[in-house]
Amino acid sequence: MTPAMTDDETQGMAYPKPPITARIGKVASRIASYLQAVPLALILGFFFLLPILMIAVVSFWDYDFAGLYPDFLTMNYTDTLGSWVTWKTYLNTLKYTALVWGLTLLIGFWVAYFLAFHIRTTTMQMVLFLVCTVPFLTSNIIRMISWIPVLGRNGLVNTTLIEMGIIPSPIEWLLYSDFAVVLAMVHLNTLFMVTPIFNTLMRIDRSLIEAARDAGANGWQILWNVIIPLAKPGIAIGSIFVVTLVMADFSTVQVMSGGQSASVALMMKNQMSLLQYPAAAANAVVLLIVVLLMVAAILRVVDIRKEL
Amino acid sequence: MTNETKTPKGISRRGLLKTGAAATGAIVGSGLITGFPTIWAQNPITLRQFGTGVSNINAIAEKCKADLGITLEMTATDSDAAAQRAVTQPDSYDIADIEYWILKKVFPAGVIQPMDIKKLKYYDKIVPLFKTGKLTPDSVIAQGTAPHTVGYVEKVGDKTFAKGETQFFTMVPTIYNADTLGIRPDLVGREITTWADIMDPAFKGKTSILNIPSIGIMDAAMIMEAMGNIKYADKGNMTKEEIDATIDFLIKAKQAGQFRAFWKSFDESVNLMASGEVVIQSMWSPAVAAVRSKGIACKYQPLKEGYRSWGGGLGLAAHLEGAQLDAAYEYINWYTSGWVGGYLNRQGYYSAAMDTAKEFMSADEWGYWIEGKAATGDIMSPEGKVMEKAGAVRDGGSFEERMGKVACWNSVMDEDRYMVKRWNEFIAA
Amino acid sequence: MSHEKRTLEFYVLAAFFTLFVLFLYGPLSAVFILSFQGPDGGLTFPLNGVSVHWFFNLFEQQAVGDFGASFKRSFSLGLMVMIVNVVVSLLAGLAFRRKFKGSTVLFYLTVASLVVPSIIISLGIGVVFQQFGLKPAWYSSAFGAHLTWTLPFGVLIMFAVFNRFSPAYEEAARDLGATSWQTFAHVVLPMIAPSLIGVGLFGFTLSYDEFARTLMTSGTYNTLPLEIYGMTTNVTTPVLYALGTVTTLFSFSIILLALAIILVMRRRQAKVV
Repeated sequence: MTPAMTDDETQGMAYPKPPITARIGKVASRIASYLQAVPLALILGFFFLLPILMIAVVSFWDYDFAGLYPDFLTMNYTDTLGSWVTWKTYLNTLKYTALVWGLTLLIGFWVAYFLAFHIRTTTMQMVLFLVCTVPFLTSNIIRMISWIPVLGRNGLVNTTLIEMGIIPSPIEWLLYSDFAVVLAMVHLNTLFMVTPIFNTLMRIDRSLIEAARDAGANGWQILWNVIIPLAKPGIAIGSIFVVTLVMADFSTVQVMSGGQSASVALMMKNQMSLLQYPAAAANAVVLLIVVLLMVAAILRVVDIRKEL
Repeated sequence: MTNETKTPKGISRRGLLKTGAAATGAIVGSGLITGFPTIWAQNPITLRQFGTGVSNINAIAEKCKADLGITLEMTATDSDAAAQRAVTQPDSYDIADIEYWILKKVFPAGVIQPMDIKKLKYYDKIVPLFKTGKLTPDSVIAQGTAPHTVGYVEKVGDKTFAKGETQFFTMVPTIYNADTLGIRPDLVGREITTWADIMDPAFKGKTSILNIPSIGIMDAAMIMEAMGNIKYADKGNMTKEEIDATIDFLIKAKQAGQFRAFWKSFDESVNLMASGEVVIQSMWSPAVAAVRSKGIACKYQPLKEGYRSWGGGLGLAAHLEGAQLDAAYEYINWYTSGWVGGYLNRQGYYSAAMDTAKEFMSADEWGYWIEGKAATGDIMSPEGKVMEKAGAVRDGGSFEERMGKVACWNSVMDEDRYMVKRWNEFIAA
Repeated sequence: MSHEKRTLEFYVLAAFFTLFVLFLYGPLSAVFILSFQGPDGGLTFPLNGVSVHWFFNLFEQQAVGDFGASFKRSFSLGLMVMIVNVVVSLLAGLAFRRKFKGSTVLFYLTVASLVVPSIIISLGIGVVFQQFGLKPAWYSSAFGAHLTWTLPFGVLIMFAVFNRFSPAYEEAARDLGATSWQTFAHVVLPMIAPSLIGVGLFGFTLSYDEFARTLMTSGTYNTLPLEIYGMTTNVTTPVLYALGTVTTLFSFSIILLALAIILVMRRRQAKVV
């Protein structure tokens, strides 16, 4: 295992070839590259780029009670951006995003760290990692519904606490509150943080840590100056996953807040439920731009393409 | 009924299918002789129907296969998805099972073709509520998107609704009911008589209303009016000022912590009530029955202001033609011929063709569910479980008492754009 | 580090890890317990008798919806996504090993596809299919919608794999006279096989569980998550929990299978090397 930085160098140096064959090889390999990239490009082109463009187009359309009319209006945007509801909803969604991101990062990092550095055999690492994975394979909907009998007024937590005499009456904010939303989101999304961080931690050359220790660094210094910088790409990817998933969430917010909290996607869904597609599309474009900006910010900090 | 007529009609059927739509009239005519003579088994026809789980019940598909030989593929969706699918994926279904209020938006999209009432065998049996808006000749037409206001068009191809009864029916009504407040009598501890009672500070944090914007706001309107805060010209079609007043009221109640949660699906309303999260909420009659079937006391409470009502029906997809269209008509005629009606009545909903449904219910069932009489024997659910013991009387009384006191139908407002905007505000508040 | 004695840090982290696992399994255990509800029991506590009624009920006809058919669709869709995911990600991974014109654009397109909120993609694909007069179905539009989510995962994983993949092995194989196909099939493929299994599994589970992306693209028939959601519009029973329990056990066995395959492959590789 070699640390991340040296990889590109080895790769670059590994192709010293005679000039003529090199030229032919280069052309051939370029064609091969194109051919290999075609399926991905086609799929993303048709199922991603085209739909997004379509949304962008529809967001300028007019609509009324009965239908949609192709047009070029900025009304949907002025409606969306001009209302304090939008801003408040974004703020609320960002609040969830920040909380969930912070918590999943904290939990995810330490779980990954424990697995990577404290578990001695690869088999055990794999087994424990899979133990964490299994709950994520059960249907999202069922996993979400399952919080209700746990957190409800007469749910597991409240009944247990009351029976133990710790609280006199049920705690109301366990369910249908911001707490419940964040809890469920952390539950649903932590794996997306654990996996990439675990991956990068596993790739850290152990001799680097030994070297740091020999140089007299203590545990925290090693963590802060060696491990975390090397884990950055994993943290970045995990953050991208979590931020995206939370920003786009509607079902968790709806179910866990009992319909009492707003999220951007939920706002879109309410518009879609009355077939107000242009308004929803304008909202979608705004949301898309916000999410892309957030991801771009993450990518600015860590160039995952180089450091992956 | 099916076996006797199988051979001869089957053959003629196949021949007719080849000649296509021209023969339609003849087939419908022949259908008048004995129930449902045409058998589709020899020429397999599949109809794809979608709608909420309320009426997309497998037992209906099974019975349809047995009686008609038509394979009915049912897809259950939530109510939002149903509206989306109706408009955005018109090729994905043959029969749309949707509610009247959303039909007001779906029909103008041109995805549903109107039905010729001459081909509807039981058109005469359909309760007048869906034709004139009046249950009895002297009743008052309720506010909101009353089904009859979106029930007819002047001619095929029209996208605006006709003022009165015409030859072209947009949907055949199938299922409807009146919603009111459901209560946990054991936890409420007092008489509940009005929609305003849901705002009683004693129930703070233990109430709920619907979370579908266009219906939730009507719950709120019922409450507002009951409290004497406002008098709406039409609760189902508010002006901007009325929407503002209603939403402001909701925001205040929400911030004061009056609501525990808002429910969106049947199931959520049952769970909220059964788990004791909520003691008083706007609720459906069958949801109340579902809570009660778990051994938990729950009451469908009639209120002095009347009910908020809803209705659903079956619409034919615009792309249907030829044999499929014939089959669809036959299916709809079968649907209204009584068996399904009896089945829906026994679940606590109402059938649109009451007379035909009556023949498929026992006298006791009819007495309990429709006439509001005390049950003489145990009342069983369609699945064969005891729902109510002998002697029980249905909350809210008879069909006439319930459907005769509808204050308002579920609606889409002309100002729906503004309404959704403000509703999002309420959720964000 | 791993050869030292257990430190305090280990015990603290081990406790933290245990708590995390409990947190993960907590609500699942509620599902597990409630799936043994008595025949008259509901979706919430307290238990109303204990039975295996709902497990049998899972294989019977429900009042509304059809587990069997929607499971088959979700499973087939998952397999389709899995296969396409593995093949396309592998090809893309190979392509990205060299710089080519448009590679940066394609890379950012992939990342963008990952981050686009699911409901937007769902809406967009729905509108595109409608505008082009194509018939949406779980195997066409929903399939594509799922790929926009699973492919970026696959491509990123392959990226990580090939970034660390030393070309020395291929050089050696080529020097020994292997054709490029032989090099690929006998040298490259076995080495990246575990990652490919990972890509496949990721694809399958992400697709199997996808809800929002299927919402507006599924066409006539529901996938399992949509069916479950649709079923909540009528009286639901603990059969949903029984389904949850069975799914969890099912995923357990799939994972064990994958683990076994990886271990066997490792052993083989170890023998070869």
